[in-house]
Amino acid sequence: MQIKITIDGKEIITDSEKSVLDIATENGINIPNMCYDPLVEAYGGCGLCTVEAEGVPKLLRACATKPSDGMVIHTDSERVKQSRKVALELLLSDHTGDCKAPCTKACPAGTDCQGYVGLIANGEYEEAVKLIREKVPFPSSIGRVCPHPCEKACRRQYVDSAISIAFLKSFAADKYLGDTSLMPKKAENSGKKVAVIGGGPAGLTAAYFLSLKGHSVTVFEQMDKMGGMLRYGIPEYRLPKAVLDKEIEFIAATGVTFKNGVKIGKDISFDEIKKDYDATVVAAGAWKSSKMRVPGEDLDGVYGGIDFLREVSIGNEPQIGKNVAVCGGGNTAMDACRTAVRLGAENVYVIYRRTKDEMPADPQEILESEEEGVIYKYLTNPIEFIESNGHVSGVVLQKMKLGEPDESGRRRPEPIEGETETIQLDSVIMAIGQAPELSGFEKLEQTRKGTIVASESDFTTSEEGVFAVGDVSNKGADIAIAAIGEAQKASVVIDAYLNGEKVAYRKPFVVERSDDEIDYSVFSKAQRAKMPQLSPNERKHSFVEVNKGFTDEQAREEAKRCLECGCHDYFECKLVKYADENNVSYKRLCGEKHSRNQEDKNELISRNADKCVLCGLCVRICDKVIGKSALGFVDRGFGTVVLPEFNKKLAETDCTLCGMCVDKCPTGALREKSGAEKPLVVEECSKITVCELCEKRCPIDVRFIGDTITRIKPYGKDTVLCKKGKFDLLSDKTLLQK
Amino acid sequence: MKVVVGQGSCGIAAGALKAYDVLEQKLNKDNELDITGCIGMCYLEPIVDVYNKKELHRFVKVTPEIAEKIADAVNSGDFSLTADYEISDDDKSFLSSQTRIALRHCGVINPEKIEDYVNDNGYEAIKKCVTEMSPEQVIEEIKISGLAGRGGAGFPTWFKWNAARGSNGTEKYLICNADEGDPGAFMDRAVIESDPHTLIEGMLIGAYAIDAKQAIVYVRAEYPLAIKRLKKAIKQAKEKGFVGNNIFGSDFSCDFKIKAGAGAFVCGEETALIESLEGSRGMPRLKPPFPAQSGFLNKPSNINNVETFANVAWIIQNGGEKFAAMGTQTSKGTKVFALTGKVNKGGLVEIPMGKTLRDVIFGIGGGIRDGKKFKAVQMGGPSGGCIPESLLDTVIDYKALSATGAIMGSGGMVVMDESTCMVGMAKFFLDFTAKESCGKCTHCRIGTKRMLEVLTRITEGEGREEDIALLEELCYSIKDGALCGLGQTAPNPVLTTLKYFRDEYTDHIENKHCTAHECTKLTKYKIDPDACRGCTLCARKCPTGAITGELKSAHKIDRDVCIGCGSCMAACRFGAVEVE
Amino acid sequence: MNFYNSNIDSDLTLIEPTLENLGDAPENLISVLQSAQEIYGYLPTDVIIHISQRMCVPVTKIIGVATFYSQFRLTPIGKYLIMLCKGTACHVNGADGIYDAISEHLGIKDNETTDDGLFTIKCVACLGCCSLSPVMMINDDTYGTLTPQKAVDILKTLAEEEKQ
Repeated sequence: MQIKITIDGKEIITDSEKSVLDIATENGINIPNMCYDPLVEAYGGCGLCTVEAEGVPKLLRACATKPSDGMVIHTDSERVKQSRKVALELLLSDHTGDCKAPCTKACPAGTDCQGYVGLIANGEYEEAVKLIREKVPFPSSIGRVCPHPCEKACRRQYVDSAISIAFLKSFAADKYLGDTSLMPKKAENSGKKVAVIGGGPAGLTAAYFLSLKGHSVTVFEQMDKMGGMLRYGIPEYRLPKAVLDKEIEFIAATGVTFKNGVKIGKDISFDEIKKDYDATVVAAGAWKSSKMRVPGEDLDGVYGGIDFLREVSIGNEPQIGKNVAVCGGGNTAMDACRTAVRLGAENVYVIYRRTKDEMPADPQEILESEEEGVIYKYLTNPIEFIESNGHVSGVVLQKMKLGEPDESGRRRPEPIEGETETIQLDSVIMAIGQAPELSGFEKLEQTRKGTIVASESDFTTSEEGVFAVGDVSNKGADIAIAAIGEAQKASVVIDAYLNGEKVAYRKPFVVERSDDEIDYSVFSKAQRAKMPQLSPNERKHSFVEVNKGFTDEQAREEAKRCLECGCHDYFECKLVKYADENNVSYKRLCGEKHSRNQEDKNELISRNADKCVLCGLCVRICDKVIGKSALGFVDRGFGTVVLPEFNKKLAETDCTLCGMCVDKCPTGALREKSGAEKPLVVEECSKITVCELCEKRCPIDVRFIGDTITRIKPYGKDTVLCKKGKFDLLSDKTLLQK
Repeated sequence: MKVVVGQGSCGIAAGALKAYDVLEQKLNKDNELDITGCIGMCYLEPIVDVYNKKELHRFVKVTPEIAEKIADAVNSGDFSLTADYEISDDDKSFLSSQTRIALRHCGVINPEKIEDYVNDNGYEAIKKCVTEMSPEQVIEEIKISGLAGRGGAGFPTWFKWNAARGSNGTEKYLICNADEGDPGAFMDRAVIESDPHTLIEGMLIGAYAIDAKQAIVYVRAEYPLAIKRLKKAIKQAKEKGFVGNNIFGSDFSCDFKIKAGAGAFVCGEETALIESLEGSRGMPRLKPPFPAQSGFLNKPSNINNVETFANVAWIIQNGGEKFAAMGTQTSKGTKVFALTGKVNKGGLVEIPMGKTLRDVIFGIGGGIRDGKKFKAVQMGGPSGGCIPESLLDTVIDYKALSATGAIMGSGGMVVMDESTCMVGMAKFFLDFTAKESCGKCTHCRIGTKRMLEVLTRITEGEGREEDIALLEELCYSIKDGALCGLGQTAPNPVLTTLKYFRDEYTDHIENKHCTAHECTKLTKYKIDPDACRGCTLCARKCPTGAITGELKSAHKIDRDVCIGCGSCMAACRFGAVEVE
Repeated sequence: MNFYNSNIDSDLTLIEPTLENLGDAPENLISVLQSAQEIYGYLPTDVIIHISQRMCVPVTKIIGVATFYSQFRLTPIGKYLIMLCKGTACHVNGADGIYDAISEHLGIKDNETTDDGLFTIKCVACLGCCSLSPVMMINDDTYGTLTPQKAVDILKTLAEEEKQ
């Protein structure tokens, strides 16, 4: 019977025999649902598809409601939203897993580490580079210099040692260095102009993404060349400038205009820029070395860390002499001491007031500097620089011990009264921090630290149309990838701003586990690939790059070590999609959680009940559509779980391995063995074709990335595949050619 | 003389079989010894009735010793020595204040003898239906009576019958829900054990009205005696031709089947019951389709509970109007309540709708035990709520009870005094529903679990400031989102206690204090040194060794070790242990 | 699913009369399982498989049903099954105290069996003897108006009888 109903204000003429859910879907109104599939009868379990009908006191399940003529339905009323939100939060409160891998979450730029590591493992280097470039336009450079928070979060370290994620990145990116054929498609010219102040990692990243979005971008840089701290703060032996140049060329190839040697407030005023451009991004960095407030630090021969590195990089090598002390324990200190060695200093000391364990520098850098002969003076603090003929000639060090932990959790160094040591020196490099130089930016509101105030979510400053990112803003100097991450996120905000919209960056919703919830004993050990390097002796006298890079075999083996922490279903999981859309909290309704840890990924179809939402689709499809009973419900209530008979392996039951259960599972509770050598969690490409293994010629959706077929799904809501189409076909290499 | 021993489950549990054995041995052969079902005065069981011509001697709390004395009295005809064991006038009022329709034969006839039932106009109603009335007339009569489903929801019985009658299909089922799962209700058990033919006859009439040829009784497996007696009754009825083909020579044929449930409260929900009848997990189905259209084996089916059917034959015999004359505007006839808890006289109470709760608890029930103070009455079990003293004058009526936040339900009425913690009560019910949740829908499966966790932490002194708001949010969301009646009503015990006893919640959360001293983690005990005689009994009973002290000197409780179980207080013979 | 036991060798002829009597209509599954439990005391693995084959009902469905209803047991129980009522009336009248007492006395918790195979405790929803609360049922006998001491004494008596 034809009836007229209204859904969310939209009048619809429809058939009274259809469900509200089907009618809404046909009319482009999406009602969340997890337990509904057209192949089987409506079930009513998930409770997400509830809608409100005017005049009906109870909420209705859209999947099971056949409307009556004139019904007025709301799918997003407050009551509906609340019910849906609680349903999602309840489901999430017993949903155990990691939507995204710890490495990916740890990356300030959100690079999909697990994704590109997986691609590299499969030899899909080009796809890996494309994926990295979605967030980082300097993969070769960043892979070399990043202190890799990703690796610090890598769970492989609890098995043996972390994946060499950063080097894998530069390994893949080096293969396509400067190859503009990888350039993403640029959007149509928007007619908008953007000024970027500062040509460092933050500024260039913002320029790159905004240019790709069709805006006309100009970068103003005070130095002669682009690159900022990557060029002037990172020594050549870590990042050859030839590599950086190629990556900057790639950015330029998007159509960005570079203006070098322009200093704001001197060569051009901030107001002028602001007036001439539709949006301004301040990414001026932090170029001032911080002071120590130690007597004698203004003497000749005492250099600021970044000043020293910058001078070396432009060929103005300071006369540092034979005995050099570097104060500080961060990565700038490492760069400084190792540069000093290469400049010919004989005794290079690193003066640090805590011990090696507390040192913020990358342990690998410390190790390499030690190999190069750097002498560490732990638990010492300079209290005076000694003068001789107006030049520094030594330092008096206060000996320290470690006391109680401070707010940062590190044990606070305390002086040991009366114990000092004096070292003879020719020069001192103070690598204890850096701050922005804000002259010219007086108009912008500043923090007490002397940085520009910017919103953490949308990067706006006190001036309309002006955004600030990177070291110049908020908490000040940080690692390059943090600046890149802010700039990439800001580019989304600025693009929206230029289109007259207002969006703010919001962290995507994820479910996560803590590292100690995982049973690492199931993983077999495989040591981290050792990066081939120049010998310490070769290194000491040369600025040639220390790391020689991985071979293909090394890289693929290394990438295969990945534990695949992030959920395989991330890109298709309905639960995480709805959770993200409905702005829910998965911790609000927390309580007892199941932790059954039963997944065996070696099976063609593996199960992880900890992610199951008990929608019952697998059980019902198997029973009603396939006519088998490979899976069934066990127990009841909160303890209900889906299991094969006697918890056997599916292959030992009457399961036909058709994989329909996997295809219908709304979450990652069921997974199929991947067609890829190393399972991949990436957004795949899709090709619709037919399975030709029998006369039924079922329509199939072949998923692939690069040259790797990942899986085959039934195409069309009524298609039911068998094992042949689902798994046997995966080994058919001719499929891709078709 | 005729001597009758009440042998319902309660009576048997109280020792009726032993009394029967004694009587069987001791009574002279010229006396007749018989059994009957449950008369509903459970607090007086075992009960032995002696009919001396017209005169009735009713003996209560009959131990084997008393039984022996009764046998002597019967044998001799001299009841002067057993007068003390006869029911008091006060206790007689328990029955005399009631109006019995559904329970009309309970404790009166022998449930195992069909003749007893037939002699009291049994099977006359179905005879009248099949020989004089059309099914439509039967439904009309039920409509006039105003009979509503006694299982909980109170849906008009005629409406369901009419819907099932109107459904297409030659094969239809008439199902009796005897899966009395509501903890605290036992009237259905009592009816089946004490008067199974009333149920059979009521079901026959229902089957006739909807045109079903198959009747099924779904009984809890925990009721073995009821199953046994019902089986026997069906067999007898078949032999008499009341069940089977061409009943009373008419075209109407109906067969009976008994299916034992296997322990799942959710099977009280009619679609879950159907799943269970079909041999599946009792997970509720989506409605529509309603069972009247597509029920058992996808055939039109009608489901009513035991008490509903127990009224049917009476209505046909006496007319719907007579039934409708009792009760209130919206609730007609009588209702049976299982009155239990801290009440003096517990048992089965059948009264016309429209009486007040006070009439039942303080009138018939004789008030609160041990002189304590009434706190609340729980009605409707896990789907119902706790009604406070201020609402004791609420009349018994579907609407009026629902307005309190509780429900009529199947008629469980559990009385609580000041020693019952209301947060603990809410936790008790959530524990029940969480365990009984079938697991199908999200709101019920996880929601009740989370509510239970919140309630548990409140009773353990770990309650948080935001917990009441969180509970309320969960309550309303679960009511809105759960699939079936079990889930939708699961929050009721929490909502009503929050409504009427909110201060108990805040007391637990803010002051870590339980007024009822029931929450062991919030209750600390101390020993009054002046009252303590140093007998060491408490120290020996203490499970955690928290009590120390020398023999014959005052003992002490170590607060940190004490878990508040109260076993010291229970053990102390001098009243020296008190709550801090 | 820790109840799977391939070493069990039940006498499958015992369940045959039931299967023949009730036929293979799937709606009789619960009745068949009830009968099987009555015969074997619980539902052994091989009996489940046998019923599955005879009734043409998948094992997954049988296990689904057997684990859904609280009546069914997939592991053997003690000689005496103590069903302790936790109904509302029993709760109000101190069922928790009874549980604590018998649990402490026997050294087992709900759904556990004593090492000597004598007692199993199972808390049940409502036995329908609310007026005698608190109540427990041991096998077919009901014991009412319990106190913790009385409950323990009953268990002691049963254990004594076993010794003789």
